[in-house]
Amino acid sequence: MSEELISKKDLLDLAGISYGQLYRWKRKDLIPEEWFIRKSTFTGQETFFPKEKILERIDKIQTMKENLSLDALADMFSPNISDLQMEKDDLIKRNIVSAAVMNFYLENDKSGLTFHFPRILEVYVLEKLLQSGEINLDEGKMVLQVLKDNAPLIKQKSCELVIFRKLGVSSCLLLINTEAVHFESGTKLVVSLSLMTCMEEIKSKLL
Amino acid sequence: MELKNMGDLIINGVGASNGGKFQLVTLNGHGTVNSDIECSDFECNGSGTVKGDVKANTAKISGNASFKGTIDSQQVTVEGTAKIEKNLYAKHLYVSGKASVGGKVKSEEINLHGILAVGEDCEAEIFKGKYRFTIGGLLNADQVDVELYGECKAKEIGGQTITVKQHKGSFIGTLFKPFFKTQLETDFIEGDIIELENTIAKVVRGNQVKIGPNCHIGVVEYTEEFSQDKNAVVGESKKV
Repeated sequence: MSEELISKKDLLDLAGISYGQLYRWKRKDLIPEEWFIRKSTFTGQETFFPKEKILERIDKIQTMKENLSLDALADMFSPNISDLQMEKDDLIKRNIVSAAVMNFYLENDKSGLTFHFPRILEVYVLEKLLQSGEINLDEGKMVLQVLKDNAPLIKQKSCELVIFRKLGVSSCLLLINTEAVHFESGTKLVVSLSLMTCMEEIKSKLL
Repeated sequence: MELKNMGDLIINGVGASNGGKFQLVTLNGHGTVNSDIECSDFECNGSGTVKGDVKANTAKISGNASFKGTIDSQQVTVEGTAKIEKNLYAKHLYVSGKASVGGKVKSEEINLHGILAVGEDCEAEIFKGKYRFTIGGLLNADQVDVELYGECKAKEIGGQTITVKQHKGSFIGTLFKPFFKTQLETDFIEGDIIELENTIAKVVRGNQVKIGPNCHIGVVEYTEEFSQDKNAVVGESKKV
């Protein structure tokens, strides 16, 4: 998963933004600190960014800043879980979860019809995986259990959910701040899903 | 947060408290607070120590205060000496004494008339710096306005408008001049509009760059305009 990097100068050119804007977004935490990668070059130290991620983020900021204030944007990108609560019906109405997946989730989780953010995330992840046909219901239960067991971690860090199969037996794991994962050749990687992206997707659907 | 009905914590003379929620906290004399406090107004006039975090609407330090934790307040005024081991979050920060922060400073407006030392990054919308400062990380502000009275240092400076001016010295100032270096030392300066005097930097990048007297700049990279004073040394300047 080694990424292509882009230097700050090229980024400004490519995205058509100024230093002032870039630093302002950094101050507002719209661009995470980890993306500022310092490397020494022949002119001294230079800052680089993961190219794909930063361009996508800047694109998002630029299209959304017309409607939203920078602070509202910052809330959206921040991994901190908002103290949001929603009802089961609301989630279905807003197309975050389909009724079928919601019923499956509620069969396995009996803590009521009011959803706070961690539960919304769980059900959203299930929805994504089940609807795309990548996992079956049994695997869904397994994913749910991993997400529930590690809920405190998911809150703070950028996590990635990885599901893999070998000889028809599936397993799943949660990666925290990892660079790369490698499997032996008989293993099939079913899906790797960034929970951070999921959170952003949910938030953009809610707004 | 409802602090209206909370009591006050006032320590006159030598005393200690275990912290908690208050309306008004005043440490006169030698006061120690052993854990976190949350209050509407915090004031320290003598020598105070807080061993936890402080959350307040206004915080005023006129004496000598030391904080083992973080300060989070709308308005922070330092007229004496304040030592903060972790971070300082303040909407408005005014320093006319000496403030040293071990972690980072996050603010909207920083007005500095004294000495400010920051271990990590310093972020603000407006940074007005007079006298002296040392910033271990990045000084990131929309408007950076520096008037040099002494030796200032920052690892990097970034923002939209960056102005560094030499203070027009008084008579006494010129007498003692050989003992004090009035200059700003930094690795990088990046901004849209940059105007510098008495600055030593390795790299300056910007759209409109104006290099004034007594500058030593390694490389200037500009996109629109560039001008250089005859008393400035610029290693290389290129339009990109």
